Amino acid sequence: MNSPLLVADGLVKRYGGVVATDNVSLALGRGQVMGIIGPNGAGKSTLIGLLGGALTPSQGRIVFNGEDITGLSASDRARRGIGRTYQIPRPFLDMTVRENLLAARFSLHPFESGAKARAACDAILERCGLADVADLNGRDMPLLRRKRLEVARAMALEPRLLLLDEVGAGLVDSEVTELIGLIQSLRHDVEGIIIIEHVLRVVRECCEQLLVINFGKKFAEGATSEVMASDEVATVYLGTARGDGAATLPEDKILDRLDMSKPAHAAAVSGLVGARGVDAGTAVPPMLELLGVHAGYGQARVLNGIDLQVRPGQVVAILGTNGAGKTTLSHVISGAIRPTAGQMRVDGVDVTGAPPHQLARLGLAQCMEGRRIFAPLTVEENLLLPARGVAASDRAERLERVYTLFPDLQKMRSNGGTSMSGGQQQMLAIGRALMARPRLVLFDEISLGLAPIMMDRLYEALFELRQAGLTMLIVEQDVERALELADDVHVMEHGRFALSGTAKAIRDDPRLRHLYIGTAD
Amino acid sequence: MLTSQLSHPSHPEPLPSPLELANMSRFCAYLFLPACLLALAVIAPAMSDYALEIGFRLLLLITLAEAWNLLAGYGGLVSLGTASFVGIGAYALTGLVNQADVPFFLAIPAAGLAAALLALTVSRAVFRLRGLYFTVGTLALAEALRMFMVNYSGFGGASGLFLSVDPPGLLELFWTALAIFAVTSLAMTVATSSRFSILLRAVRDDEDAAAQIGVRPFRIKLIAFLVASFLMGMAGALQGLKVGAVEPYGMFGIQWTVNVLSIVIIGGQGLRAGPIVGALFVVLLSELLADYPALHLAITGVILIVVIRFAPKGLVGLFQRRPRAAGGVQ
Repeated sequence: MNSPLLVADGLVKRYGGVVATDNVSLALGRGQVMGIIGPNGAGKSTLIGLLGGALTPSQGRIVFNGEDITGLSASDRARRGIGRTYQIPRPFLDMTVRENLLAARFSLHPFESGAKARAACDAILERCGLADVADLNGRDMPLLRRKRLEVARAMALEPRLLLLDEVGAGLVDSEVTELIGLIQSLRHDVEGIIIIEHVLRVVRECCEQLLVINFGKKFAEGATSEVMASDEVATVYLGTARGDGAATLPEDKILDRLDMSKPAHAAAVSGLVGARGVDAGTAVPPMLELLGVHAGYGQARVLNGIDLQVRPGQVVAILGTNGAGKTTLSHVISGAIRPTAGQMRVDGVDVTGAPPHQLARLGLAQCMEGRRIFAPLTVEENLLLPARGVAASDRAERLERVYTLFPDLQKMRSNGGTSMSGGQQQMLAIGRALMARPRLVLFDEISLGLAPIMMDRLYEALFELRQAGLTMLIVEQDVERALELADDVHVMEHGRFALSGTAKAIRDDPRLRHLYIGTAD
Repeated sequence: MLTSQLSHPSHPEPLPSPLELANMSRFCAYLFLPACLLALAVIAPAMSDYALEIGFRLLLLITLAEAWNLLAGYGGLVSLGTASFVGIGAYALTGLVNQADVPFFLAIPAAGLAAALLALTVSRAVFRLRGLYFTVGTLALAEALRMFMVNYSGFGGASGLFLSVDPPGLLELFWTALAIFAVTSLAMTVATSSRFSILLRAVRDDEDAAAQIGVRPFRIKLIAFLVASFLMGMAGALQGLKVGAVEPYGMFGIQWTVNVLSIVIIGGQGLRAGPIVGALFVVLLSELLADYPALHLAITGVILIVVIRFAPKGLVGLFQRRPRAAGGVQ
C-alpha cells in the first residue's frame, strides 16, 4: 500500500469570526515523521485537535488510511489508531499511572486477560521511564512525568498514527536526547508521527518533513533542512535561534537601541522598578539572602543547604537539570514552602516562614512557572490585581508602562487572560509581576514552551528591565540566554549549588557543561 | 486500622500497600460481607421490632447511597435526581401489584427496570450537560416529575395510591431489604473492582482525554446511570411496599436526594465503605436525636460543613491516609 497514512484537505476551523485554522492541507506518508512548527498562537494545537477529533472542522476533510474520518468522534478515531497527547498534560488524576494506561487498553480490548493487559502496559511504562511510578496517582506526577505519561497513554492505544503536542518542552539537553531516542524507537511501532515542538533539536533530528504554520495558514512546507534554512521561517519563527541552534542575543545592539533611540521607552520601563539599584557596596545588606536553607516535601528532602545572596541591582540566574530543586527553591523564596532549616532574609531582616503575601509587601514579586494566569479575568484585570489599593492615577501610570513594554497586551486588554497565545500569556505574567512595582522579581522558567522568536522578545524585555535597575532572580532551562542576562550564576545539583560564580567565569568553566548535560553524579 | 493504631501508639505500623488493601477489600467482598448478611438473615426472627425497623431503614439508605456513590463518587455524575428514581420505583410497584397482581418478589425488580427505563429515556438529554449543569439538570428533572405526579390525576394526583393488598410483615421486609442490599453489594463490587471501574474513573477524571484514548464516554456513563437507577428503583419499590401507600410529596420528595447525598459525603465519596459508614452514622444520629427534630437538622448541617471542610474524603477517608502524607514535615 503506497497511499498516504493521513491526508487532510482544506481544513478550516472558525470560532465565531476568528479563523484559527485557515485552509490547511497536509499529507503524511507511511513511515514518515512530520514536524509542525510556528509561533505561539499560530494554530498548531488546533490542527492537532482537528486531526485527533477533539474539534470538528468547519470545512475540509480528513482521510485516514483510505477512510474519511471527518465526521468521526475522538473515541472512534482513537479506535482506528490515532493517538494524541495534550500539550498541557491531562492525566486521569485520581488513578494510578498504570490505570491511566489500562483505560486505553481495556477500551480497546475489553475481553483481553488482565495479566496480558497489565504486562503490555508495564512494557510501555518501562520504555517511557515510568516503571518506578506505576502505582502512584496521576495527581502526584510533576509536569515532566505527566508529559511522559501522555506519550505512554497514547502508546497504550497501539496507535498507527501518533500526534505529539510539545512533549519536549522543559527538558534539558540530556532529557531531550532521551526523548529523541524514544521517538526514534517509536518509528518501528507506528506508521506515522506528527510532532509539534519548539525544541528545535527534536524537530531537526526526528522529522523529515516540516510544516510551518503562521496565523492559522500554511506558511512553508518541505524537507526539514530546507525549511530551517529559509529566511522567511527565520523571520516569523526561529529568530536568533537559526544558525547553530544556540541563541545568541545581540545584547549590545539592544542596549544601544534602548539608550540611543528609545529614551522615552527606557524611562517608562524604569518607572516600574520599585527601587533603583545602587552600587553593591558593603554597607547595603543583600536584598535577598538565604543561609543554609533546607526544604522538602514530607520525608523527601529537596534542598540541602542553599546559600544565596542577591544584591540590589543584581541579576542572578539559577540553572540546573530537572529535579535538581530549582522549583522548590523558588517556592521557598516566594513563601509557598517553609524551609525546614536555615534562614531567609530580606534587607537583612529575618523573614523565614513568612507567608507569600507578606513577602510580596516587602517588594518581592514572582513570575511563576506555568504562568498561572487567571482565566476568568481579562488581561487588564489580571494586570490590575497586584496594584489593588494603589491610588488610581498611579495604577493607570503603571498600566501604561506595562503596555509600553508589551504593546501586544494593550491590543488584547479586554480579552480573556488565557485566550491569548502562550507568548502573550507569558508577557502578561511578567507584566502582572511588574504591576506591584517590585524591587525584586523571581522569573521562573519564562521560556518554557515558547517559540524561539518569542523567547527573543521576552528576553529583550528582561534586558530593558535590567537596564532600568530591576533586581532579578531567574530560574531557567535555557543556559545561553540566562548567561547573557545574568551577573552571577548558580548551577544546582541534588539540592545544592554545585557551581557558582560570575556569568563570565561560569560560561568558560568546563564543569558547567559536565553538570548540565547530566553526566555528573 | 483504627484499633491497630490505638494499640501501638508509639510504633506506627507501615501503611498497607495498595495491593494489600485491595486484597483486604476483596476478602471483605467475597467472604466477610456475605457471611454477615447470612448471619443477619438467620438471627432476624429473634430481633426486636425496633431493631428490625432500624435495620430496614439502614439497609434501604445504604442501597440508595451505594447507587449514588457509583454515580457521583466513581462516575463524577453528581445527580440530584435520586428522588425521581425512588418515586418511579414505588409507583411502578404499586401499579404492578394493584393492576396486574404481580407477586412482590417479581414486582420489585420490575420496578427497578422501570427506573432504569426512565434513566435510559432522559440520558440523551442529561448527558449533554456536564459538571454542575448535569447536577442542576437532574434536579430540574426530579422537580418536574414531582410536579407532574402532583398535578396529573391518572396516578392518584396529590393524594396518591394505596396498595390493594396487605403489605408484608416487618420480618419479610427486612429479609427483602437484605436481599436487595446483597444485590447492590454484588453490583458495586463488580462495578468498582473490574475493568469497568477503570473506564468509569477515566471518564470521571477527564471525559475528553478518555475519548482521546478510545473510551466511549456516553456508553460508560449510561451503564453506570442504568445500574444506579435500577438499584434506586428497587429501593423505592421496597419503601412503597413498606408504607403500603404512595403519594408524590413523600416518594418524589427532595429529602431522599438530600439524605443520600449527606450519607455519602459524610461517609466518603468514591470509597467503597463510604456509604455504609455514612449511613450508620446518620441513622445513629437521627435515633439519638429523635426527640429533638430541629436540633437534629441543625447538627446534621454542622457535621456536613465540618466534613466538607476538613475531611473531603469523608469519615472513611480520614482513616485511609495517602502514603505520601504519612511522614509529615520534620
